[in-house]
Amino acid sequence: MTDAWAFGYGTNGFADHTLTDALDVIADGGYGAVALTLGHPHFDPFAADWRVQAERLSADLARLGLRIVVETGARYLLDPWRKHRPNLLDRDAGCRIDLLRRAIEIAAVLQAECVSLWSGVLPEDVTSAEAWELLVERLAVLVPFADERGVVLSIEPEPGMLVETVADAVRLRAALGDPASVGITVDLGHCVAVEPGGVVGALRQAGAALRNVQVDDMLPGVHEHLELGMGALDLVAAIETLRELGYTGVAALELPRHSHDAPRLVRTSKEAWDAAAAAARHPWTSRAVATVAASPERASRLFAEAGRAVGRTPLDPADPHGYRGTADDDARAQIIVALHDATMSPETVRGLYEHGDDAERRGVLRGLGRVAASVDESWRAAGLALTADALRTNDPRLVAAAMGDFAARHLDDHAWRHGVLKLVFMGVPLAVVSGLDVRRDDELAAMASRFAQERSAAGRSIPEDLHLIVALYQEN
Amino acid sequence: MRIFDPHIHMTSRTTDDYEAMYESGVRALVEPAFWLGQPRTNVGSFLDYFDALIGWERFRAAQFGIRHHCTIALNPKEANDPRCREVMEHLPRYLVKDGVVAVGETGYDSMTPEEDDVLRQHLALAIEFELPALVHTPHRDKVTGTRRTLDVVAESGLGMERVLVDHLNETCVDLVADAGAWMGFSIYPDTKMDEARVVAIMQRIGLDRVIVNSAADWGRSDPLKTAKTGLAMLDAGFTEDDVDRVLWRNPVEFYGQSGRLELDPVPGFAPAQQGPDLFEGNSVLRGMASRRDA
Repeated sequence: MTDAWAFGYGTNGFADHTLTDALDVIADGGYGAVALTLGHPHFDPFAADWRVQAERLSADLARLGLRIVVETGARYLLDPWRKHRPNLLDRDAGCRIDLLRRAIEIAAVLQAECVSLWSGVLPEDVTSAEAWELLVERLAVLVPFADERGVVLSIEPEPGMLVETVADAVRLRAALGDPASVGITVDLGHCVAVEPGGVVGALRQAGAALRNVQVDDMLPGVHEHLELGMGALDLVAAIETLRELGYTGVAALELPRHSHDAPRLVRTSKEAWDAAAAAARHPWTSRAVATVAASPERASRLFAEAGRAVGRTPLDPADPHGYRGTADDDARAQIIVALHDATMSPETVRGLYEHGDDAERRGVLRGLGRVAASVDESWRAAGLALTADALRTNDPRLVAAAMGDFAARHLDDHAWRHGVLKLVFMGVPLAVVSGLDVRRDDELAAMASRFAQERSAAGRSIPEDLHLIVALYQEN
Repeated sequence: MRIFDPHIHMTSRTTDDYEAMYESGVRALVEPAFWLGQPRTNVGSFLDYFDALIGWERFRAAQFGIRHHCTIALNPKEANDPRCREVMEHLPRYLVKDGVVAVGETGYDSMTPEEDDVLRQHLALAIEFELPALVHTPHRDKVTGTRRTLDVVAESGLGMERVLVDHLNETCVDLVADAGAWMGFSIYPDTKMDEARVVAIMQRIGLDRVIVNSAADWGRSDPLKTAKTGLAMLDAGFTEDDVDRVLWRNPVEFYGQSGRLELDPVPGFAPAQQGPDLFEGNSVLRGMASRRDA
């Protein structure tokens, strides 16, 4: 499915590149957004020519097609000795407030989607009650300043800080009167480290207030930003939750300790994200699977609606006919798996097939493929009957769906060989056949060879991939 | 010219017809469930037919670059046979399918109490499944049948804008126009309505809610009558945009109320273009249509 958010990369992971070079690498890597951290080495917010810099950057972003969020978490921007200080909880926070005002002005020029900020750690000389008051007081002044410039502020909970979890951010936002121009930033890795409800719980808790997402992996209890796949983040679940929320903002990599290896991480992070997005369910499918698990009798209505809900796009762009499956095939297959896992009788599945249109029948066959390794005898018998029915039809997409993993594992040799040859006859690429390498045999080769002879005798071309099942037919 | 034939029985037509229709600009159609000529004697016969409408026929049409949709109902003629009426309980599961864009054809054949009852049931199903309804008007005593049809629709609670009353002629069109329902004209070689007459009606009442179909079936009929009506409109001084409205936008608006139309081009086929189909200054359609008339 096409997601409405923009996948981005944070410039704090590009400390060894100029900003121009960083943007080129990010855009070239297929990203649609950038998270710009103000400060060394990319953008001095206090430079005399900050506005000119911002206008130039804005033109670059437009040329590269990048959306942008502004981040304010630079480590030593305000004090060369003390990381992240002063913060919004310090008694003297003047320069922090100046920075945030300037960030808002820069964001306005850039038409950035938000300015993200955190609370800061509790100073030694301030109680947490005092700190909370200072925080609310100072934000209450910044919010209208941002509002007047059409800029959204997004509060980021940060491990170890006063606002540490999404629950804290929700409370802070409430203290400000839940303004529409104040959102919440969720760092997916932080959720692993500190969120009691995990990444799914944290994102849902932010809900409609979610305005910014930072992407990284992490291990429980350890606040160290890791590349995707190196920690305990369930990225698939995170993406499913973002879809459920209808998130449309920026989701940008946050890897501030990986600048030395940024170009590789641009590539691998995108691959990891895309793979997880492909594996993540459409929100309709998540709901349908949950519904069917609780009330299997609702499967037939959901089965009929799947195409309207999730679309019918082929899963492989190189397969325009969808011989290898489509978005709706995939959704229906997951419903079949849910019915199987709920130990429903195969009669339910037989009914879905027999009462289904062409697409629903394909969905049943795709689902049988997914449970092929674990079916009991009754499911196996039902699956074989449905596969045989599909193989009798003349609809190539149905025949292709019938020659998947279920057929590879359970169909008898004779029927399986005829299924393969039927696909050749219909002009369907043999790449759709599961287990071709393992199951092809001399008899299939002989059948294919005779088929090739018939084609030659009729003066017709021989399908190119026939060599997959017969190597010697040209010599016969 | 791009054409949406809102009423054609492709099950009864050949692949030559599909090719000629595509050539004339047809890119989408609706096939209403109807009487097959040979009376059915049991429910299973209906179910296999409905399954073909939502499965095999869609596949067949797609091979020729045409998006196929259908409407599902017990036709009025067979509504009088108790062996066939049992099919009513099976309709709900078809009315949720992807390709099903309306309940129909329903309506009157001989205006019997049984037909009355089945028509009411169909209209209730249209409301329940949020679908429009395609209502056929009788061949005999058409004005009385049309009036009664409109009364039953009004009682049903289904909005008139969700009803297409089909096979109209000069005698009953005003009843339907005044009621606010969509007006369907089936253009036939001999019976029902022809191109010149429907163009005259359009000149009189305008193009609002006017829909033209070939209703081609197993009888003497012509699947290119939609295209030929387009040409007749142009000859009578209507614009290309008027033709596009009647042959594409109006039926799309009516059946689009189902939320289930699929109109993007079939992979491997080109979308039909709005406007004249000219090749080296000649209308492709004229050559093709005259060839088929010969």
